[in-house]
Amino acid sequence: MTAAAFSLARDSLQAHLPAQRFVRMRRHGYQRLLLLKSQINIHYFWEKKWFFIALLIGFIIINLPTPQGLTPEGQTVLAMSAVATILFITEPVPLPTVPLLIIVGEVVLLRLSPDRVAQSLMSDSVLFIMGSLMLAVAIVKQRLDRRIAWLLVQITGTNLYWISFGITMVCGALAAFVGEHTVAAMMLPVGATLITLTSTEPKKVRNVAAIILFSIAYGCSIAGIATPSGGARNAIIINYWQQFFFNPLVPESYRFLVDYVTWMVYAFPMFLLRLPIVTLLLIWTFRPETTDLSRAVARLRAQVEMQGPIKPSDWLTFALFGLTIAGWILYSGTVGLGTVAIGGALLFLVTGLVRWEDINSGVNWGVVLLYAAAVSLGVEMKDTGAAEWVANSMLSFLGSFGADRGVGLWAAVSLLTIAVSNTMTAGAAVAVFGPVVLNAAQMSNSDPLTIGFITAISSALGYLTAAAQPAFTIIYASGYLKQKDFFKIGWKMMFVSFFLLLFLAGFYWPLIADR
Amino acid sequence: MVSRLKRTTLSYRQERALEKTLQNIRAQRRNRFRVLACINEDEDSLITVRFAARLAPDNDCDIIILFVRPIDQGLWSGGLQVRLARQNMLEAGLDLPGVSHLKKALEVLKEEGVDTTGWTHETAHEDAWGDPAGDNKVVYTSPDDRTVVLKLKTAPEVTNGILDQYELGPYNLMILGESSSWRGDKKSWFSKGVVERVTMLSPCSVLVARDSLDKKGFLICTDGTSRSMQAVRRAAVLAHTVGEPITLFSVAPTTAARSAADENVENAKALLKALGIAVANSRTALGAPAKRIIELGSDYKVIVVTDEGRSWWQRMWRGSVAYDVVRGARTSVLDVR
Repeated sequence: MTAAAFSLARDSLQAHLPAQRFVRMRRHGYQRLLLLKSQINIHYFWEKKWFFIALLIGFIIINLPTPQGLTPEGQTVLAMSAVATILFITEPVPLPTVPLLIIVGEVVLLRLSPDRVAQSLMSDSVLFIMGSLMLAVAIVKQRLDRRIAWLLVQITGTNLYWISFGITMVCGALAAFVGEHTVAAMMLPVGATLITLTSTEPKKVRNVAAIILFSIAYGCSIAGIATPSGGARNAIIINYWQQFFFNPLVPESYRFLVDYVTWMVYAFPMFLLRLPIVTLLLIWTFRPETTDLSRAVARLRAQVEMQGPIKPSDWLTFALFGLTIAGWILYSGTVGLGTVAIGGALLFLVTGLVRWEDINSGVNWGVVLLYAAAVSLGVEMKDTGAAEWVANSMLSFLGSFGADRGVGLWAAVSLLTIAVSNTMTAGAAVAVFGPVVLNAAQMSNSDPLTIGFITAISSALGYLTAAAQPAFTIIYASGYLKQKDFFKIGWKMMFVSFFLLLFLAGFYWPLIADR
Repeated sequence: MVSRLKRTTLSYRQERALEKTLQNIRAQRRNRFRVLACINEDEDSLITVRFAARLAPDNDCDIIILFVRPIDQGLWSGGLQVRLARQNMLEAGLDLPGVSHLKKALEVLKEEGVDTTGWTHETAHEDAWGDPAGDNKVVYTSPDDRTVVLKLKTAPEVTNGILDQYELGPYNLMILGESSSWRGDKKSWFSKGVVERVTMLSPCSVLVARDSLDKKGFLICTDGTSRSMQAVRRAAVLAHTVGEPITLFSVAPTTAARSAADENVENAKALLKALGIAVANSRTALGAPAKRIIELGSDYKVIVVTDEGRSWWQRMWRGSVAYDVVRGARTSVLDVR
């Protein structure tokens, strides 16, 4: 054979056929073959190891001698909470599996009636979660991002620092009412457009990209605690206050019926104070390659002009959006946050601004199930006395450091919640730990309102990873940021926020406590 | 009634026709040298595309560039499916991260002399794993029937996505970038390291590309076995076609085996001479095979090793010289299968 006669396909590296065995499995692809193999060999158990470890830990906890002060039912609930927490953090199985386990556990292990368990799954806070997710999809689908962006740059100009501040402010103002994930998903194309219009090579404007995208993310994230409708965790804490502390026969307990405006009075300053801090920290952390975005702004204007004048459907969106917010402010105390949220989604469907198919595919219904079961478990923690026992143990432990009351307790609760929220979804963390910390507050003669606010706000202070906040996950999906970028700015933001929260709790909230 | 419930199958004639169609497609592909280059978000991974262009230079070579995107997980985004945010970006006319990387890969191909300007192209989309973004591909076909394919694939896991893609081939060569952290044989079986698992599981030859494009030559290693000689022949044809000088190398684990190593190299030289392929140099060494290969190979563009024909379990428990070289080398390594 001469060298000139070589054919790479024939004479060089060969393309072997896939394995001939398991012909039927091969039709479904290599992946299903591996799945089958993993189900009949040890590799399956290794991949799912945390699921089995969690179940084993739960089994051990249930079978330990019941500690003094804890009921057997409380011990079972603690075991279920431990299993749920491990599964939330390690995710060996799809997350919606965890609420299903909780439901089955409550019926089988706690021997609660199925009807009671089913009833505990649905409350106003769960309705609110469902409604706000549907609203989120409806609003995102209206594609108002560019108009909002154009309005923004008309106010702030073309300087990157002012644009960053403007984005943070606008995202925050919106996210305070409709939730951070909505606004992040809506504003992400704006951020990406500004970046691509600044330079076609993302590598050359990495820091500009980071500033713009983190302005969106932090704007959404710091505002998520500003109003009850800003996040599911807020609605869950409001629900717990009402369930655990409100007694219609005791006038002093009416303060635990926290309405929309009361929440805003407590928490909105936390958002306002951090607004300028976000921009300053971003500029300090990511030195931008350029601060002049005039080219990008000019192109954005051209794109908005090409969209034509604002449409009647856009005005209708604003109107419905405003109606929903008005409903939350004026009527959430009587009809509940959830009913208003569902009502808002209903209006969007009836007016044809969004289709049910869009809502169905855009909402992850597993999250609704997750929160429902977590709240149900939290209520059982309270009813079985498990929350009280854990709170007692926690206070004894903290007492040895002098942190079982006052500022020490606040700091301990805040740090615990921040640590947990960096590893699992914040709403579930609040749902599971809420009863414990609220009981701890009661036992240490601290104000449960203060502790509840600290828990809810601290659950939004996990800033270290892309998975720590919903808005972070969404902007990470753009592909412009790396994991280490989140840590670079996150630890600073966490540090500042923590001390700001303690400052508000110590000096501002006492002034408005008797309101 | 029973006959209506009976499971129906294709008739014998239909079955034969289907098999013939599949055979024809495979036969057509067998006349092509098909290279699958895998990229990710890292710009350094584009080195696989450069290697693909240089190792598949002729018109009977096809290049497929693959970006595997894991399926979006919606729960961490607070219940709003991340896919909604992605859809929002698509509707805004912005590219998904994978698409922009594939476009960049096309520019790299152009820099390497494979210019798809003026070629016919067609796009295809299919839903995958319930994700509306699904699988997308663009097929560029030259007037000489050479194809360049850009494939954006969705899969629950990147490794399985790459191996799934092999089912749609097959391919002569798979090129991957270097792993950020190599694990041992046993750990890699449990870990999720993409490059390690694909290297272990791939049915075809795998090139693990490192930054060695400015070096020269193929260092082809042999241990004298017939499998190794086959690999020497195939790798030498590839090196000869792309114009790279060839150095043959064999390692003797002990002094007593030195003469066997010399003989291995001479046999390989003779084999290549019979094919009309010139050998620039031949070397032997004494010591641990993987260590010596890595040491000498660092000056070459590609080290060529071959799998000893061991099964999964054998590789895991007894180790593998080829895998050790793939893992430890400071230059690109081609594991011939």
